[in-house]
Amino acid sequence: MAGGDVVVMTAEEFKEHVRANGIRKAAKEVDVVTTGTFGAMCSSGAYFNFGHADPPIKMSKVWLDGIPAYAGLAAVDAYLGATELDESNNMLHGGAHVIEDLVRGKAVRLRATALGTDCYPRKDIDTYISLKTVNQAVLFNVRNCYQNYAVATNSSSRTLYTYMGKLLPELGNATFSSAGEVSPLLNDPYYRSIGIGTRIFLGGAQGFVVWEGTQFNPGVPRTPDGVPKRPAGSIAVIGDLKQMSPEWIKGLTFTRYGASLGVGIGVPIPILDEEMAKSCAVTNNQIVTAVFDYSQPTRSRNVLREVTYAELRSGEIEVKGKKVPTSSLSSLYKARQISQILKNQIVKGEFALDRPVQNFSLDRVFRPLDVRSEREAM
Amino acid sequence: MKTKVVLNFSPEAVNNPITHSLIVKYHLLVNILRAEIDEIGGKMVLELSGKAEDIRKGIDYLKSSGVGVRPIKEGVRRDDDACTHCGMCVSICPTKALVLDLKTGKVTFDEEKCVACGVCIDACPPRAMEILI
Ligand code: SF4
Ligand code: SF4
Repeated sequence: MAGGDVVVMTAEEFKEHVRANGIRKAAKEVDVVTTGTFGAMCSSGAYFNFGHADPPIKMSKVWLDGIPAYAGLAAVDAYLGATELDESNNMLHGGAHVIEDLVRGKAVRLRATALGTDCYPRKDIDTYISLKTVNQAVLFNVRNCYQNYAVATNSSSRTLYTYMGKLLPELGNATFSSAGEVSPLLNDPYYRSIGIGTRIFLGGAQGFVVWEGTQFNPGVPRTPDGVPKRPAGSIAVIGDLKQMSPEWIKGLTFTRYGASLGVGIGVPIPILDEEMAKSCAVTNNQIVTAVFDYSQPTRSRNVLREVTYAELRSGEIEVKGKKVPTSSLSSLYKARQISQILKNQIVKGEFALDRPVQNFSLDRVFRPLDVRSEREAM
Repeated sequence: MKTKVVLNFSPEAVNNPITHSLIVKYHLLVNILRAEIDEIGGKMVLELSGKAEDIRKGIDYLKSSGVGVRPIKEGVRRDDDACTHCGMCVSICPTKALVLDLKTGKVTFDEEKCVACGVCIDACPPRAMEILI
């Protein structure tokens, strides 16, 4: 499919269309459904090639606006993680904020030190870079776009500051992070069209899915329609930072937790057959997730209850007999904008649809980290 | 009429029963929006409601008691360019000044309902909410 007469609908439009016309008709009439999400996506970062100085330097320690970047790759390549902070742990200015500044067109101070070698004699450099001066600036996120995620609440007597936001005491509120029915992987529960090589909207540019996301865990419990009821799939994505826009790449701060990057991702889903149409017809009342008490300091917290995204979106859920106000952490407004932009681009033939080069393995399992002996690890 | 003021206390002024006087002597309704006070002084944000004349007299009284007074138009401001409409603030705002409109998908901020409690400030991931003190 390459533009022309394709019929494209946003996820919300498609669900409405199915309600009015049924799956069979919708499957015949519609070619592509566009999904979108915008939220805090940890496990994000960008790598850069700065070019060579004269005399040249093999950088071993690198800072971008004071934030350490990992330089153990080569002479002038470095990876800046979104959650990286400086020595003072100032969470208002982490790796994510530096990435946003670069996308905004700002110049960023680059400092590097080195041992000095015969071929790279220089031992330090202090200069400025921008997206105009570097050779490559590539957003490369190893785990984005979670397929479903938990709901967080807090039964303790003090406010908790978490990656799920500010959780008020005594079940004062509950937060959730998935965009629900408009979110990409919830519309393709078995990764039939989203796989390695899928072209996506990434931070305002066109990017690609390059691998399964880390912690990929497709074996979680699912609804009869196959929609995962717990965090399941995720994607690793890549794209040219130079083409991205600050509207879709945003430095975020989670107080007393750290920095994270707000990323906009959109994925088109070709309606290959009726089964695909059925997957994309899924609505918030059919998507289920679990509520956890984040005051339990363990990796295996008890499920307080299961809820649907329709309940979460209503603004209030009941937990332990108490009415608890809910907050989403991902922007419905921006998710809708992304689905719309993607739709327009496909209709105009500006966004080509690619079949995955390879599908994800459904056999992956998600292993914990235990303290073990060398022998036990073998 | 209603007005919001920021008060700056010196250590001596801390022991003055100023809110009591504002209520009893100047017939004002006093809503304490924010208070950070200890033995070495502090800051307080008040919303005063009453007759314009009484508010003026009340403010004169505060000044004569050694309290720094600065009126503010609004206690909390949102930077609309920075807001991503994520909705984090919606469940923590005690007065529902911040609500998600499902139709537009946007989070609206109703300044009239805001009591400048400040709870949303450090909860907003892009730091779009700002308290003006
Ligand atoms: S938390 Fe901040 S960014 Fe999110 S909706 Fe509220 S004001 Fe906007
Ligand atoms: S300052 Fe308090 S009342 Fe005002 S918007 Fe923020 S949370 Fe709501």
